[in-house]
Amino acid sequence: MTSQTATTNRSKLVVESSITDKKKARGKVKGTIIGPVIALVIFLSLWQSIPIVFDIKPFILPKPTDVLQAAMGDWHLLWPAIQITVTESIIGFVISAIVGIGISILLASSRILEVSLYPYAVILQTIPVVAIAPIIVIWFGSGFNSIVIISFLIGFFPVVSNTLMGLNSVDKNMGDLFTLYNASKWQTMWKLRIPAAMPYMMSGLKISCTLAIVGAITGEFIAGIGGGRGGLGYAITVAAVQLKTPYLFACAIAGAIFGIGFYLLVSSISRFMLKSWHESAMKVEK
Amino acid sequence: MGAIQKEVVSFKGVDKIYNTGTVALSQLDLSIQEGEFISFLGPSGCGKSTALRMVAGLGEATKGKVEVFGQNPKDLIRNSNDIAYVFQDSNLLPWRTVLDNVVLPLELRGSNKNTRKEIAMRVLEMVGLKDYLKSYPRQLSGGMKMRVSIARALAAKPKLLLMDEPFAALDEMTRQSLQMDLLDIWKKEHTTILFVTHNVYEAVYLSSKIAVMSARPGRLASLIDVDLSYPRDRVNSAFTEYVDLASRSLEHSLNRKELV
Repeated sequence: MTSQTATTNRSKLVVESSITDKKKARGKVKGTIIGPVIALVIFLSLWQSIPIVFDIKPFILPKPTDVLQAAMGDWHLLWPAIQITVTESIIGFVISAIVGIGISILLASSRILEVSLYPYAVILQTIPVVAIAPIIVIWFGSGFNSIVIISFLIGFFPVVSNTLMGLNSVDKNMGDLFTLYNASKWQTMWKLRIPAAMPYMMSGLKISCTLAIVGAITGEFIAGIGGGRGGLGYAITVAAVQLKTPYLFACAIAGAIFGIGFYLLVSSISRFMLKSWHESAMKVEK
Repeated sequence: MGAIQKEVVSFKGVDKIYNTGTVALSQLDLSIQEGEFISFLGPSGCGKSTALRMVAGLGEATKGKVEVFGQNPKDLIRNSNDIAYVFQDSNLLPWRTVLDNVVLPLELRGSNKNTRKEIAMRVLEMVGLKDYLKSYPRQLSGGMKMRVSIARALAAKPKLLLMDEPFAALDEMTRQSLQMDLLDIWKKEHTTILFVTHNVYEAVYLSSKIAVMSARPGRLASLIDVDLSYPRDRVNSAFTEYVDLASRSLEHSLNRKELV
């Protein structure tokens, strides 16, 4: 009888401790979510109250509610603009990924090519693409094509420099192993250098995806309407000219939300790609 | 006996001087016979790894000649699977599973897919890792990784197995069990093994012959025939004598260096 109560007591204890553990875990999650939420609420209320307190006109500094109102009121304009910018950035990004990785592999497979061309790749990277954007408009006409090309050009170099660095970072012993088994140049490329470069490639793509959006919006500033309808960059220029500041804010925030979303998407793709193989991506497990 | 045995590796007056001017090896003469288990024993910087790399065709002698089966090692690795190399760290490709790592040598040589898997299964069974085919290297312990690395070296059925301090980074228990397994493999596969180590006990436990090296410049200090039957008893007095002998000639080579 007594022993029975003892065991039930013990099991109760175990249950209780597991509950407190769960509570603790939940508390931790709550803490990490609640903090930023509170900060956001404080920020929004400050933003909301400052224009009221100092009597600032909405075309100088709109309140959050003005921005929300503008976004909902002009949603029929905003939504197509978002769609256009998203399309341009994604196409620009995909092209910079494919061309960037392709060119890197080509450069890395020939020592002569790499030595003679890599310095120029570095120099080209430092050219502000915005500065040559008008030339691209002259060559490819204003609109969609030029914007995609500008987005591609901005996103392209991080992919090249990261991938090249990765392809050349192969462990010496692994290289020796491949030499020992008389691996051909292409075998070494496909079975050793490219897999070893994957983490570098992925971080290049993560940088490039946000830059592609910057490229698309900048492209729209310069190359204007894409395919007869304007993207976010175009909408921002128009809103600025017409002093529709709340709508301008709405456009900028929409661009930011897309940027975050796109970055998270590319990050999770990269984590998925590296999950099965790489230590660098697997730090969480240990 | 000498007439039947075949020479596997020969060093003839081998010098190795690096571009920096460091003399890694000086006047190395050594002949290694088929079926021997020879250890290069020496302090770090005595050029024992350099010698091993030359046998694998991964480095060239500045002067003199290294031959394996009477051929230049570089030609030999181009045309055959006769030489295998086990590196100090397991040197596995982290993005490949155990099975895929082991079949790599066969894959690079372009052998048939089905036979590849058969061979891989055989060698993985030999090192006791048949149940870890689908694991990734990061999921294995240091000892297990080294076992996979040895299996990979054996997969191509080499006649000469080169090992560069393969057990140096392992703990004592793991090292001893791997040493025993290695001796089993040596007996079963009839390979010749060149083993680099700085551990006297390891050299005496494993080798049929010990080449003691001295440092700076690296040269052969003495050659000891270990005349003990396998499996060896680590606490046996004969064993201890060999350990003393090897230690003394190692010390001797160090002292001589200090006098100079």
